[in-house]
Amino acid sequence: MTVCPQCGTRVAADDRFCEECGADLPRVAPAAPGGQSADDLAVATGAGTDAATGVETGAETDAESEATAPLAWGRRAVAPRTCHECGGEIDPDGYCTQCGAKAPRPRDHLASRPAAWVAAVSDRGIRHDRNEDAAAVVAEPADRAALVVCDGVSSAADSDVASLEAARAAAGVLAGSAGLATGSALAAALGARIGAAAAAAASAVAAATSDGVDSPPSCTFVAAAVQLPVVVVGVVGDSRAYWLPDDDEPVLLTLDDSVAGQQIAAGRPRAEAEAGPQAHAITRWLGVDSPDEKPRLTTLEVDRAGWLVLCSDGLWNYCSEAAALREQLRSAAAAVGEDPLDLASALVDWANEQGGHDNITVVLARLGADGTRPAGGPAEGAER
Amino acid sequence: MTEFSAAVYQNEYLAGGSTDVHAIVTIACAGAGQAGATSEGDAGEIVIVDTSASMGWPGVRAAQAAAAAALDQIIDGTWFALVAGTHTARLVFPFDGTAMAWMDPRTREQARAALGSLAPDGGTAMGTWLELAATLVQAVPSVNQAHAILLTDGKNQHEQPYELDARMARAAGHLQVDCRGVGANWEVGELRRIASTLMGSVDLIPQPEQMAEEFAMLMRQAMARGVASADLRVWAPQGAQVLFVRQVAPSVEDLTPRRRELNPLTGAYPTGSWGDEQRDYHVAVRLPAARAVGQEQLAARVQLAVRDQVVAQGLVKAMWSDDSSLTAQISPEVAHYTGQTELAEAIQDGLAAKASGDDRTATAKLGRAAQLAAETGNAEVTAKLRKVVEIDEAATGKVRLRRDVDKLDEMALDTTSTKTTRVRS
Repeated sequence: MTVCPQCGTRVAADDRFCEECGADLPRVAPAAPGGQSADDLAVATGAGTDAATGVETGAETDAESEATAPLAWGRRAVAPRTCHECGGEIDPDGYCTQCGAKAPRPRDHLASRPAAWVAAVSDRGIRHDRNEDAAAVVAEPADRAALVVCDGVSSAADSDVASLEAARAAAGVLAGSAGLATGSALAAALGARIGAAAAAAASAVAAATSDGVDSPPSCTFVAAAVQLPVVVVGVVGDSRAYWLPDDDEPVLLTLDDSVAGQQIAAGRPRAEAEAGPQAHAITRWLGVDSPDEKPRLTTLEVDRAGWLVLCSDGLWNYCSEAAALREQLRSAAAAVGEDPLDLASALVDWANEQGGHDNITVVLARLGADGTRPAGGPAEGAER
Repeated sequence: MTEFSAAVYQNEYLAGGSTDVHAIVTIACAGAGQAGATSEGDAGEIVIVDTSASMGWPGVRAAQAAAAAALDQIIDGTWFALVAGTHTARLVFPFDGTAMAWMDPRTREQARAALGSLAPDGGTAMGTWLELAATLVQAVPSVNQAHAILLTDGKNQHEQPYELDARMARAAGHLQVDCRGVGANWEVGELRRIASTLMGSVDLIPQPEQMAEEFAMLMRQAMARGVASADLRVWAPQGAQVLFVRQVAPSVEDLTPRRRELNPLTGAYPTGSWGDEQRDYHVAVRLPAARAVGQEQLAARVQLAVRDQVVAQGLVKAMWSDDSSLTAQISPEVAHYTGQTELAEAIQDGLAAKASGDDRTATAKLGRAAQLAAETGNAEVTAKLRKVVEIDEAATGKVRLRRDVDKLDEMALDTTSTKTTRVRS
């Protein structure tokens, strides 16, 4: 069986586009003797049987990247030839020959929902001309997920490539199972895995760095290893994780590695610190010139229903306080319902309405009430 | 190897709801080579001199010298002819019944000798001169790039305006004509109309003895145009309106009426021949609808096509934004050339008002011109304006009309009005 990586609809192995949502399907190499079949490629992930459906909306051409592709979004090798607005032909210059609409680059807006309870959306925003954010999400239908957001530093060259490679590498490490450990042993195992994921991400950034560049690529890193009831979050830089329980106080799980973050840690009020000069200058990142890449860890015991949110500053700049983010999430839910992909898209749209000054990435995971399993589908969530 | 390049200068940011997009597109040509040097065809050159009675013997002698100076600059292997113009047109050379001669040392000498037959007599009917020139060019099928220098000293008195228009229209597309007026008794507006229709320049030669130098310069320039002809192509999206297409440097020339439809979305605007040079075009497009803030679209593809091959392309874009710090800026290039275009209009309107005795309008228009010339840094126009008006305060456009203005100074101002300066950066 082959499924569309974007919407999960079953598609034929040789389809180029998904009949349901129109997404480009990854080009699948013919099965080589002893190699993986087309079916294996489409449903398996780099983590083997531990994880379920991955994500791939772009089309990479080499077989090697196809094997790892479901972990994150790829960059498209061939631009679409038909205008998404008027159906006209797309000129090689990247604009429609009829209506002039700009053909979106797949890297500009990416969306995925690897399981009914997990979704990610990453968007170029308005002001930046490319999307240097990246996310990689892997999830099982049940209670395990690996969530990663990396925000490329835009003053550096090739940060869009670096952030994507970093997110992929990190998710690949996180997707494995922590086995039968429970309680503090489970938290320790997940924490170790986050550390390994950050190291893998840092190596991926280094591998994406050309020799002798003045401004080597770099990115932030926030990842969550979910193996309910435990969630371990690790951060380097200023991308964030929030826990927004339905009926309890919302919390920001991370402390930014930024000038503002240092001031907040020293007791300065958040609003004041974040408005200060150089407030957004980050003090740690992943890259060859990184001071250190050890993620700061936070462990969460999930004992009630709520949303785990990972995001880049393109979102939290408009709703830094956990309560403000929950407010947005609630009004988004009131408008579009509880499907995580719809909700993440609504939050991205909202950030764009606020000006879209930066790339915007939102990862959402709906975590369950009994602390051992996540909430099921959107219908269950709505009943709660 | 001829190479063209295109660069676009614009503020692509539009405020929400806005639909008008302006851009300056600079097209540069390098390595054009010599006229007629390519394998596609030959170059043709025609020198047309006014030999009406008003020229007098001194004028005719100066015209003979000027034509000879032009002959010296025509490179061997170019088709050429000499035409004498009065109330009718006479082919002076070649005189063997053919339309044009093949330039070599022998024909150059023969042509030079034939200039001796020129004598002042008769009136002026420039349409007939142009018609003959176009006929000559068409009689030599291998000529794919024809150019003429037209010299006159007077008004087009022996031809009705509609006759001139009709003859001009028949010549258009067959040759490009640089028009020169000698002395102060010709009409700038009339010659400008001819030059504009026939894709050439217009200028004043104050004294007859300055003609030879000017002719030699014009001919050298023509011989250095190795690209026989090129079209500017403007694509605009479905439902959009091309408001105008204007050459704005080195001189202002409205190309809008020259449009020929290539397909429903693309118009072609002939630009004549090219040498190693740079020309700037102001393209304005009204899009059918504003998109949402944050959206981007293409407003125009501006291309240069030589023999139906696109050799350079610039993309004019539109990006809607709610950031007024982005949308409020006018591109300095667009602002500069908008000012230069208005400057040309203000001068021409002001001089026309002055000629008709409407001093109030003349003062207002020339005052505005003084202001614009100062704002856009056009020192040449400012210097020429000073000979026609006293500029009391350039910043506010406060001027007084001078009395006893030399007619030549007025004409010099008029012919300079469409010459633009480039943006200072």
